[in-house]
Amino acid sequence: MHKLAIILCVMSVSLTAQWPNHPTPGMPRTPDGKPDLSAPAERSADGKPDLSGVWAVRNGNALFYITSGLKPEEIRPWAAALYQQRADDFRRDTDGIACLPPGPKAGFAVGAAPMKIVQTPSLVVVLYEYHTIFRQIFTDGRALPKDPNPAWMGYSVGQWDGDNLVVATAGYNDRTTLDLAGHPHTEALRVTERFHRRDTGHLDLQVTFDDPKAYTRPFTVPVEFDLIPDGDLIEYVCENERDRPHLVGKRGEEFRAPAEVLARYIGTYESPVVASGVVVSLEGSRLMIDTGEGKVPLFANSENSFTMEGTGVEFSKDDKGVVTGMLQHWTEGDRYFPRRK
Amino acid sequence: MKIKLFAAALLSVPLAAQWLTYKTPGIPRTPDGKPNLSAPAPRTADGKPDLSGVWRGPMRSAYTQNIAVDLKPGEIQPWAQALYQQHVRNLGADSPRAHCLPDPPPYYHLAGLARIVQTPAMTLIVNEGISNSGVTRTIFTDGRGLPEEMNPTWLGYSVGHWEGDTLVVTTAGFNDKTWLDFSGHPHSEALRITERFRRRDFGHMDFEMTLADSKTFTRPITLKANKTLAADTELLETICENNDQIAQHLVGGNGFRVAPETLAKYAGTYQVAPGREAVITVDGESLALRLNPSGDIQNLAAQSETTFVGRGNGIEVLTGDQLEFVKDSSGAVTGLILHGRRGEQKAVRKTAALGAR
Repeated sequence: MHKLAIILCVMSVSLTAQWPNHPTPGMPRTPDGKPDLSAPAERSADGKPDLSGVWAVRNGNALFYITSGLKPEEIRPWAAALYQQRADDFRRDTDGIACLPPGPKAGFAVGAAPMKIVQTPSLVVVLYEYHTIFRQIFTDGRALPKDPNPAWMGYSVGQWDGDNLVVATAGYNDRTTLDLAGHPHTEALRVTERFHRRDTGHLDLQVTFDDPKAYTRPFTVPVEFDLIPDGDLIEYVCENERDRPHLVGKRGEEFRAPAEVLARYIGTYESPVVASGVVVSLEGSRLMIDTGEGKVPLFANSENSFTMEGTGVEFSKDDKGVVTGMLQHWTEGDRYFPRRK
Repeated sequence: MKIKLFAAALLSVPLAAQWLTYKTPGIPRTPDGKPNLSAPAPRTADGKPDLSGVWRGPMRSAYTQNIAVDLKPGEIQPWAQALYQQHVRNLGADSPRAHCLPDPPPYYHLAGLARIVQTPAMTLIVNEGISNSGVTRTIFTDGRGLPEEMNPTWLGYSVGHWEGDTLVVTTAGFNDKTWLDFSGHPHSEALRITERFRRRDFGHMDFEMTLADSKTFTRPITLKANKTLAADTELLETICENNDQIAQHLVGGNGFRVAPETLAKYAGTYQVAPGREAVITVDGESLALRLNPSGDIQNLAAQSETTFVGRGNGIEVLTGDQLEFVKDSSGAVTGLILHGRRGEQKAVRKTAALGAR
């Protein structure tokens, strides 16, 4: 079997320390000088909550597999097929691999680099560390353009609804994915974001994706951000796109394991990382695995050996054939997850 | 001869219309509704001039192609001159732009649109990017100094302070991968850039940039690039893509070297048509061409003893255009033929020039 590189391994990040721990002016602080992250959110001169700051996404279950709240029939067949093709190809042809912008998932894809919000009365600028991409959210009352040329990051306008900044974005091209798993969207996609700064240290976001050409109903995903106090973005210039031709993508023909064999692997496996355990389930004729970041498919190489995002997974059995545990072959070494009784 | 592909020819830019005719709010206007660009400069609540707005650079500048245009030959350190000549010979195949990597720092001021967003503690510069991805910079104005230890970056670390009505920005911590112009002048990690922004009135900003890098140049280089407010328009999204697939097809130059005494024979003024002259100068181990007194200086990389190929994306000479010198039976240079994309132009030699400038 080929060694396969997967998306997360391919990203080239030039990490650089920039003013580490420089105290941010105006930051509320506790008596010992630490940032007071539960202090009330700051307000701008016009009385609106000030969303300005450097924010990092808190990884959530739904963010890797962003459609996990949808039933399979709520994903249009072409979109499900394209997703499946990308999964089969280990996402070789998705945006990040080619050093292309992330589109609507910027800022909240799993493992997304931080973003910096700079709020002024008529314009909110979001600088994303990833790719040095930016977004402009106009809050000067203009409407969305009527027939915009498709853009990677779309066109955004915002308005205040009480203490929520509600941002409408449209005019995306159809070349980005909604999540790292590879779920597609069309140019008809409209995204509505409701930003609410709960307090100094916490930003809540509800993202609603509405793309009737790809999904039969709109769906909403909650996202939480934590402030990075006294910090800043790190320059990120994607320069290793030359790796891309070496990604082999598609695996060999998948082994067709009988459903009754796959059903034996269903269960929960103990994990030192995920308290609720790693859950293996069966959807149709496909095993799915949820390691705490949403369900991803397991591809069969043999009756007993599978591939998860390029990582080998094997199930162990006792002498009676009862499944006792799961072994994952990570780059860092093997990890064993005993099956919960 | 092989057909060559060049960096400038392969940029794929999806242009997108974004509120291109939306009237910018808060702009003073004349009675007929046009932006009044000579109204006084706005000020922020703290009394500083407010630099915020979408600004356009001067567009045409000799520094775009050659940042060292004002320098004497001895003012470029030998290693930098050698590397520059190598870049010229390679026809830009190894330029950052050929790989969708950031453009020369001065170029972001010389051409294209940039939005400045000024807040009390920081000022952002959001560059649209021309034929390359846009980039963003944060200039801290909260009183911090530059970090003592800076990991090298493409765009450096910037801090600013006010001197009267002028915002003075110091940037350091660059990596040594960017070029300072499209011809390929390199710099070291010791580069420090000082920028001075002064909004003269509502529609005009005086801008001056000084590049100091004693490891590369024996003296600082200062250039002006005054800006004009771009009212009632918007930045376009510009994303550089596909260069990863195209860059591998760039063949570069053939590395041919012409002896300095031969190069010197080509220097001079050539008449293309009445009133139109082409001036050839020696630029180190290569030649430079200026077709228009106010135009860009184009580098010419030698392909053989008598043929040269254009570099850069100038107006008159496109990258890849061939230039051939014509000699009489005694070997004296009598003219040149420019094999451009718009046909063949012949020019007759008028005078011999001084050789190296």
